[in-house]
Amino acid sequence: MGELLNIFIKSAFIENLALSYFLGMCSFLAVSKTVKTAFGLGLAVIFVLGITMPINWLINSVLLAEDGLFGTDLTFLRFILFIAVIASMVQLVEMVIEKFSPSLYNSLGIFLPLITVNCAILGGSLFMVSKEYNFSESVAFGLGGGFGWFLAIIAIAAIREKIRYSAVPAPLRGLGMAFIITGLMGMAFMGLMGIDPAAVG
Amino acid sequence: MADTATVKEVKKSSLTFGKKEKALITDPLNDTNPITVQVLGICSALAVTTGVKNSLVMAVAVVFVCLFANTITSLLRKRIPKQVRMIVQLVIIATLVTVVELTLKAINFESYRQLSVFIGLIITNCIVMGRLEAFAMGNDPYRSALDGLGNGIGYGLILIAVAIPRELLGKGSLMDFKIIGNTSEFLVNTTEVSWLGWYANNNLMVLVPSAMIVIGILIWIHRAWNPKLVDVS
Amino acid sequence: MHSTKYIYTFVFIMTALVALLLASMYTGLKPIHDKNEALYNKRAILSAVSDQLGKDIKSMSDADVQAVFDSQITQIAVDSRGNEVSSAQMAEECEGAVKPEEIDMSKEKKKDDSEKILPVYVFENGDEKYYIISVIGNGLWDEIWGNVALKSDMSTIAGIDFDHAAETPGLGAEIKDNKGWKKQYIGKSFYDATGNYTSVVAMKGGVKDPSYQIDGLTGATITANGVNDMMASGYKLYESFLKKQKKS
Repeated sequence: MGELLNIFIKSAFIENLALSYFLGMCSFLAVSKTVKTAFGLGLAVIFVLGITMPINWLINSVLLAEDGLFGTDLTFLRFILFIAVIASMVQLVEMVIEKFSPSLYNSLGIFLPLITVNCAILGGSLFMVSKEYNFSESVAFGLGGGFGWFLAIIAIAAIREKIRYSAVPAPLRGLGMAFIITGLMGMAFMGLMGIDPAAVG
Repeated sequence: MADTATVKEVKKSSLTFGKKEKALITDPLNDTNPITVQVLGICSALAVTTGVKNSLVMAVAVVFVCLFANTITSLLRKRIPKQVRMIVQLVIIATLVTVVELTLKAINFESYRQLSVFIGLIITNCIVMGRLEAFAMGNDPYRSALDGLGNGIGYGLILIAVAIPRELLGKGSLMDFKIIGNTSEFLVNTTEVSWLGWYANNNLMVLVPSAMIVIGILIWIHRAWNPKLVDVS
Repeated sequence: MHSTKYIYTFVFIMTALVALLLASMYTGLKPIHDKNEALYNKRAILSAVSDQLGKDIKSMSDADVQAVFDSQITQIAVDSRGNEVSSAQMAEECEGAVKPEEIDMSKEKKKDDSEKILPVYVFENGDEKYYIISVIGNGLWDEIWGNVALKSDMSTIAGIDFDHAAETPGLGAEIKDNKGWKKQYIGKSFYDATGNYTSVVAMKGGVKDPSYQIDGLTGATITANGVNDMMASGYKLYESFLKKQKKS
């Protein structure tokens, strides 16, 4: 259990998908104008990462691995299968939420399709493969990674809401400033690099 | 077939190269640049721009994927069922990306080792997907190909524009060719000192966060030079 | 609206076509991929003795690399007790590796020390003989590995080469990119003057004993510690083999 908590904390803070690996930047920059929308997208990312990670783990180890079901190395199909899982999971999640919680669907709805092309999701799955996590570890990694991404987008949205009242040079306003803020936040996150939660806790 | 998400055919297919066709290629280089205006495909732009060489390889890969994904989608646009549109597009992109990956592994193993995961992330590079959805699904193959080419090149140009200051200031070289500063703080012999030998490499430029800042500054320059892009909100 | 049947047929045909295309490309290019990977590995091994060869390994052509490898390198597989391992045993325990250069070090890393099978490359350059050993360990993010060339006293470093999977560019990645830093290793010994095992250590904050210490890398403490651990434990695995060779 402690090991899983370590992975959760590590993937949420130390190896933050948004601010250490800079994944999912397109939607990160596009949807972080207000905290409210950022909150919706962040939740959706936690959701989808938490679900696709274990499924992709199963696909990778049961179908694609050399000692898997087909007995041959099928890893060259990894990209296609992973992205297909992500795309179909996003659609499925969308349908389920629409059916059971229309209010959540209304607040989350428009962000769900965006997530398919959020590279934090595919990147997360690919990292999971290269780190050789087992099943429960991959769940912890998925949830932690999603949570870290959620925190990061809330943080930048809050900063962007405030900075609107500052005297930024006109050409730098909006997008340009968002890039620079993200860069500075990333540098701050580098301070956490290399911390081993197992050694600290 | 009304249900194939066809926006509206621009013109009936003709293979002329007029003003409109030229704009398909030149617009993404400036007014509708994928990175600095549309903010698409940032992730891979950050990670691979530590060196000009890697950026060039990546740029070629993206141009290839953009061009063929657009053309193939456009050829199939009337046959793709709307319900599975997204998945079909992703499969087309993912196939092309895997083709690129396998080819790169065969012709330039060293670049393959350095770019590894980021080649895969072209799949989720939103420009490719965005162009398929916004253009290729509604236009003929010839124009879609031009559009894909334009966007791929527009993307590649910014990659290289970001990579040049990063490699020059971070490693003191361009295309691995030593230009300024010492080779390292552990200088072995004086022949390794090049132009501006007092310059010490700024390692910060090689780190990913500085790429964000370099892109931010590029956007600043771009918008100062092309004021109609300034964000008024 | 397309009928459900149409959708199924479309998806089925598309999947079949894509799978066929990729599978044929994969199998078609596999020999080239394998050859590239083997050459990449050979370059890494030769990089440890690039000073002795007097050539920049990067600028050598594939054929040159292969020629040097064929004519000047003898490869052996050993276990951690210092015994040579027969090729049959190696093939059995290392997933069908035919030559020692095909041993997958990251798989060996996970085995118990007593079960490890490790490659040794003997490089002959005129009268000089160098022993190149392979080491592997963990950096900040992922694996790091390297090849260390030893002089005929089996303890002094003649050349070194490191590589990494995902260290931070500009910081940890310097273990591969910073040639000047790597050059410091040359001439250092794994033992101090009294014969105690010290390994070769990259020190943060200045060198005290230049016979086995070198300057650390700024901003890359954890990667450098990873290199130190890798060197210390990596050499240890070969120690009994190297001692036997020294005697004979």
